[in-house]
Amino acid sequence: MLRRPKYDKSKKCVRCKEKSGNIVIRHAVYCKECFFPLIAVKFRRALDPSINPVPDGPRRKGLKAGGNLLLGLSGGLGSTVLLDLVDRTYFSIRAPPMDETTGKPRGGKDHPRNANVWPKGYACYVETCNAFPGTRDRTEEIRAMVAKYDRFEFLPLRVEDAFSRAWWDKIGGQPVVQSLGIDVTSEDLLLSSISSDEDVDTPTSRLQRYISSLPTLTAIPTAVQTLTRLLLLHTALSLGSSHLLLGTSLTSLSISLISSISQGGGFVVREEAQEEWISRLPVTRRIENGHADGAIRIIRPLRDIGMKECAMWAWWHGLQVVGREKVPGGKQGIGSLTKEFIVGLERDYPSTVSTIARTCAKLAPKKGVGGVCLLCERPAQFGLQDWKARISIRSFKDSSASGSYRPAHFPDKDIAPAAPETSRSPSLTPVLCYSCHTTLTSRSSRGTTAVSASKDNPMPLPMWVTSNLTSAASHAAGDEVGGFTDPSDELWERRKMDTEQMKATVADFLLEK
Amino acid sequence: MAPRACALCENAKAMLKRPKTGQQICRECFFYVFETEVHNTITQSKLFQPGDRVAIGASGGKDSTVLAHVMKTLNERYNYGLELFLLSIDEGITGYRDDSLETVKRNQQQYDMPLKILSYDELYGWTMDAIVSQVGRKNNCTFCGVFRRQALDRGAAMLNVDHIVTGHNADDIAETVLMNIMRGDIARLGRCTAICTQGEDTIKRSKPFKYAYEKEIVMYAYFKKLDYFSTECIYSPDAYRGHARAFLKDLEAARPSAIIDIIHSGEAFEVREEVKATQRVQQTCKRCGYISSNELCKACTLLEGLERGMANAGISDRGRKQLELQGPAPENLRTIPLFKLPSGNPTVAIETTP
Repeated sequence: MLRRPKYDKSKKCVRCKEKSGNIVIRHAVYCKECFFPLIAVKFRRALDPSINPVPDGPRRKGLKAGGNLLLGLSGGLGSTVLLDLVDRTYFSIRAPPMDETTGKPRGGKDHPRNANVWPKGYACYVETCNAFPGTRDRTEEIRAMVAKYDRFEFLPLRVEDAFSRAWWDKIGGQPVVQSLGIDVTSEDLLLSSISSDEDVDTPTSRLQRYISSLPTLTAIPTAVQTLTRLLLLHTALSLGSSHLLLGTSLTSLSISLISSISQGGGFVVREEAQEEWISRLPVTRRIENGHADGAIRIIRPLRDIGMKECAMWAWWHGLQVVGREKVPGGKQGIGSLTKEFIVGLERDYPSTVSTIARTCAKLAPKKGVGGVCLLCERPAQFGLQDWKARISIRSFKDSSASGSYRPAHFPDKDIAPAAPETSRSPSLTPVLCYSCHTTLTSRSSRGTTAVSASKDNPMPLPMWVTSNLTSAASHAAGDEVGGFTDPSDELWERRKMDTEQMKATVADFLLEK
Repeated sequence: MAPRACALCENAKAMLKRPKTGQQICRECFFYVFETEVHNTITQSKLFQPGDRVAIGASGGKDSTVLAHVMKTLNERYNYGLELFLLSIDEGITGYRDDSLETVKRNQQQYDMPLKILSYDELYGWTMDAIVSQVGRKNNCTFCGVFRRQALDRGAAMLNVDHIVTGHNADDIAETVLMNIMRGDIARLGRCTAICTQGEDTIKRSKPFKYAYEKEIVMYAYFKKLDYFSTECIYSPDAYRGHARAFLKDLEAARPSAIIDIIHSGEAFEVREEVKATQRVQQTCKRCGYISSNELCKACTLLEGLERGMANAGISDRGRKQLELQGPAPENLRTIPLFKLPSGNPTVAIETTP
């Protein structure tokens, strides 16, 4: 049987219609010369409209960002191509035109035309080797890669910094009064205090406890991704950045959209493509950090460029891709399964990836934003615990979930009702989004994979969560960004309760063992 | 190893591991949580009013067999006050429906519910066997899907019911969310997670098993000893849906909550207002009176294509243009009877128990 040709018409480039084509992009043939401007235009079209503080559509002149630029590098293909494209487009070619008579930049060196779009560019890499035993540290390889672009300053971070007070203080975070942990064996994720001494309990050991407390293998890459994203955002804020650029290609975007939806992230489907993150730091603190508005745009300028085009760009420009470490056991993760599925589907149905991205761009979250999730700092809905309890009954104790009728073998007198609403429990659950709660609590069919999870060994929380929970200042000030406003307008009481206090509150309802 | 106690009643011996939660529970607690979750779904969405006449779309497969059983149980336990009917569609596929329809007839006797079987042949003058012999196996699912949807509505109108319930389960809905995203069907994506759909000119249709896992439906049928037929349609080689289904099973293996998580995602987003404004307004088919996006509804277009020997007319734009070039439809063209919403009295006699 004859193979179906991969292109629609002829082997000639569809753009110049002269040269023989070198690459087929979704049935269209392009020559090498036409390929470069094609990619450059797609890249600028995705980024230019979001550069100026007031987005005003595509514009060729007068691009001026409100702050510095932070590039998030993973060492993968997308971020390698992104660094190259940003450097070529906005940093290398913007040498001001010289006045022939004076020999100085035309219009003076302070003329807006002669200034860089971003005053300063940073490239940040978050090393995750301590989260995945058996993987190697690639910081130095990434440093060497960034060194080729002399206009970018390299900033190495480590994922365990999320649990480091030193890092948190360095970036100007709100002081942390007390370190907190949660009991992941309960859906309520009850809070308790943990040792604050970093000599005894190092950030690395906390990270490892965090990872080993997760209930499924698939939760590990998701949790690390969330930590990485927040590390980049807080770092960007401390550097006075207005933009955080990520090297998510069209293919990776489609994968992350489907993966996020499969993990219950439908409410933040828009944020997967583009988002504006607002720091939860109080305004006074933000001004001290030199970032008064506290808003950072996360843009994925390669969102219209497929993985294949990125690979061709890297190949034809001789870019060396460090590569990303394969996560041990990660094949069973939802992210990896989605990647395998989408990449496989793309082979037979080449339009699938762009269809997924275009379809998701037509979606918006349903009304009823409750607040911001304390862990991932993305918009979150309320009332999810009731919803979960009604559609999957895990206990007879909650009569609102299980109704008034009881099975014949289970008499009514045996039912211990849940604690009354008036009792306030120091639980993290009400301030988490659906995805984060699922990541921390949803188990595999083979039970939990958590190694160290127990009531006596709480899972440590990242600095930004602890800071928000313990920061009396932001609570007292009623800072609307920092607070999580319950729809019933009740204040969420952030007081730590010890086990005895908790027991006293619900003592009348506990069953004798 | 000592037998484990049920995680729910902590009393009886655990007999199964719940696919949805991973909990090890006893059989009685499983029946209880399964039925109560369906009850919660029904009451939370306020699906029924006392006195409603409800048709259960019964195919004789696992979902509808269990649905009929659970609907009858809940109706009696919680005094819903519903009048329940069974409604079956016979597509006319030799060897596919014969056994399943026997199951439905047995359910009719077991549950003492009136049954109506409506065939494609009776309604459209075509069986699926005849359609496949003309169009081949490639696009026949389009005919079957469109014809079945209308047939259910028409059967419900004949029974004069207010509401149709179908056995779509959580796996089906999660799969549909993924499929609609992957093929860019924004209109269906916007409504596929709704538990109840009702237009001005259609009969209310809902899915009480929206949050019930397929595996648990099978488990329920197994422990309750309900018999059903698991028959794959001999004409359905939908490779794309097959990929999506296999992917969903992988996700479920990685984390069982993935199915519910996808449904939750589907419920958390909606189509943007600007996009909604560009969607077509619903109208009424000028030939049969059924809801339609065009002058002619899809079923009428497909039927006209079949009758005029140009089956592609309802499949592709090219086919439709070719049909238009042939001139207007002949006067004596076979058409679908005019659709009327329930009038108050059944227009057909329902099957009686032999």
